[in-house]
Amino acid sequence: MIVVKNLEKHYKIAKRDPGLRGAIKSLFHRKFETKKAVKKINMHINAGEMVGYIGANGAGKSTTIKMLTGILTPTSGEVKVNGIIPYENRQQNASHIGAVFGQRTQLFWDIPVRESYELLKHIYEIPQAQYEETLKEFVDVLHLEPLLGIPVRQLSLGQKMRCELAAAFLHRPKVVYLDEPTIGLDVAVKVRIRAFIKQMNARYGTTVLLTTHDMQDIEEICQRIIIIDDGSVIYDGSIQDIKSQFGDKRVIHFELEDAADSFVLPEEIRALTEVLPTSDEDPHLVSLSFSNKHISGAEVIHTMMNHYSVADLTIADAKIETIVEEIYGRGMKKEVQHEEIR
Amino acid sequence: MRKYVEFARVQMQVHAAYSAWFWANTFSILLRMLVIYFFWKAVYSSRTEIEGLPFEGMITYIIIAMFLQMFVSGVGQELAHTIKDGNVAIELMRPYNLITRLVAMDLGDKVIHFVRGALPLSILAFIFMDITLPTSWQSGLLFFISAFMGIWIGTFFDLLIAILAFWTINLWGLQVMKEAVISFFSGALVPLILFPEWFQTISLFLPFQAMVYVPVAIYTGILSGTEAWLALGSQVFWAVSLFVLLRVLWSIAIKKVTIFGG
Repeated sequence: MIVVKNLEKHYKIAKRDPGLRGAIKSLFHRKFETKKAVKKINMHINAGEMVGYIGANGAGKSTTIKMLTGILTPTSGEVKVNGIIPYENRQQNASHIGAVFGQRTQLFWDIPVRESYELLKHIYEIPQAQYEETLKEFVDVLHLEPLLGIPVRQLSLGQKMRCELAAAFLHRPKVVYLDEPTIGLDVAVKVRIRAFIKQMNARYGTTVLLTTHDMQDIEEICQRIIIIDDGSVIYDGSIQDIKSQFGDKRVIHFELEDAADSFVLPEEIRALTEVLPTSDEDPHLVSLSFSNKHISGAEVIHTMMNHYSVADLTIADAKIETIVEEIYGRGMKKEVQHEEIR
Repeated sequence: MRKYVEFARVQMQVHAAYSAWFWANTFSILLRMLVIYFFWKAVYSSRTEIEGLPFEGMITYIIIAMFLQMFVSGVGQELAHTIKDGNVAIELMRPYNLITRLVAMDLGDKVIHFVRGALPLSILAFIFMDITLPTSWQSGLLFFISAFMGIWIGTFFDLLIAILAFWTINLWGLQVMKEAVISFFSGALVPLILFPEWFQTISLFLPFQAMVYVPVAIYTGILSGTEAWLALGSQVFWAVSLFVLLRVLWSIAIKKVTIFGG
C-alpha cells in the first residue's frame, strides 16, 4: 500500500535580511542553508496495517507524511501510495486518502457539521447511498447526532476532533494519515476515537499511519511501530519485539540527602547496574538503570539504602513509553529521560 | 464541476446567515448614496454640466460605479489567510483546484450580494435619485457584458495579489495599496474623463479602468459605438491575460510550496 524507498527531503532555508528592503532583496538574491529533514527512509506498509510513526518533535515525521500526501516533493527517492506517486498526481492521490491533523481543522468553519459532510460528499464524489450508510454508522459510533446542526466554530475541541475523524473516513479512503488525533483531548474522547479507528480498520481494511506523542494511542491501535529520529528510521518492528527487547529495563531515580557529586556505585551492584547521566537541575538525583533479569529492583533499592541516606525514590515503568524514550535518547546520544510513575 | 457548484451554494448559505452584517452594510451603502447625492447636487448648483456631463449623467455614473466597485474585489483575503496560516497544505490534499474553488465561492458570494444588496438598493436609487436608464437597449446589453468582464478582471487581480502572500511576509500593506489604486484608476470615484489628459492616457494601459470605468461609461453613454467595442476588446484582453497570469503564478507558487516546503 505504502512503499517508500531511500526517501530524502532537504529543505533550503532562505536567510533573509529583515524589513522591506530585505524582502525585496531576497526576491533577486537569496542565501540558503540546507537542512536534511528526512534521510534515506525506507518503509513498506501493507494494506490494512496500522502503523505508529513516532519520533521527537522535529524528527521528520510531518515531512514524511507531507511527502506521502503529495504536499511535498521529495528531494530524492521513491514514494508510492496505492500505486500512485503522490506528488505527481496530487489530486488523484487525494481522493484515496484521508487525513486528520490535530492542529488544523479541515471542516468548513462557518457551516454546520452536517453541511460540511454534504460538501465533502460532493468533493469526493461519494455515491448518495454509500454516503448515507457511512454517515449513519459514524454518527452511531462517534455519537455525533447532537453535533450535526452546530457550526464547526462553536464546537469544543473534543467534539470537533470527533467530527474531523468522521470527515477523514467519510469517503472510505484506502489510507488515512492521523497526525496527533488525540492531542489535548480527555480520556473519554480518546477512548472513543481509538475504538473508532480500530473499527474502521476492521471493517474497511483502512491502512492507518498514526503519529502521536501519546503512547497509549500507539499501544492500543498499532501492531507495528516505526521510530524516526533526526530524519532516519531507528526502529521498525512490532510492539511485542520492542517490548521483549527492552522490556526488562528498569530505571530507579534516587533522591539522596547528600549531594550526588560524591556518589559512587556500591560494589555489590556495580556489575549489574549503570548510572545514567541526569540533568543538572537537581544535584541530589541519581538514576540507576538495570535489567530485571539480572538483578531485582528490591535488591538495588536495598543496597542503595544501606550505603546512602535516601530521601525519596521513583521507579520508571517498563511501558512502551519508557522504551521509546530510551531509544530516542540513545538516538540523540543525550541523557535518557524517563517517564515516571510514583 | 458539481463540487464547485456546491461551494458556490454553501457560500450563499453562509452569507445569508450573517444578517447583522447585512443590515449594517446596507445601512452604510444607503448613507454613502445620500452623501454622494447631496455632494454632487451642491457641485452642480452653479453649473449645468462638467466635461459635457449633466447632473443626471454624473450621479448615474457615480452610483452605478459605486455598486460595481463592490463586486470587483474577490476572495483574495481568504486565499492570503489560507497561505499565511499554512492551511494551504491541507487544501492541496483535496481533490479539487483551490483557485477554481475560491472563484466558485466568490461567485456565490457575489450572487447573494447582488440579490440581497445591490439590486434592491439600486432600485431605490432609481426611484429617488434621478438615475437614468441606459441610452439604448444595445448599450444596456453591452453594459451587462462589460460589467461581467470587469468583475472577472477584479476577481483575478485580487487573487493575483493574494498569491504574493507566498513570498511576502505582510500582505496587508499591499492589499490596502491595491484598494487605493483601484478606487483611483478604475474610475470608481469619478469618471476618468474628469482627470487630466495624461492621467487618462496612463489608465488606458492599465487593467483598472476595465474593472469599473468601461462598463459604467458604456452605461452612461460616455463610451459608445466603436469606442465601446474597443473598450470591450481591451477588457477581454485583460481578463484573458490576468487569468493566464494567475494560473502561471499559482503553479509557480505550488511548486515552491511542494519543493521548498512553504
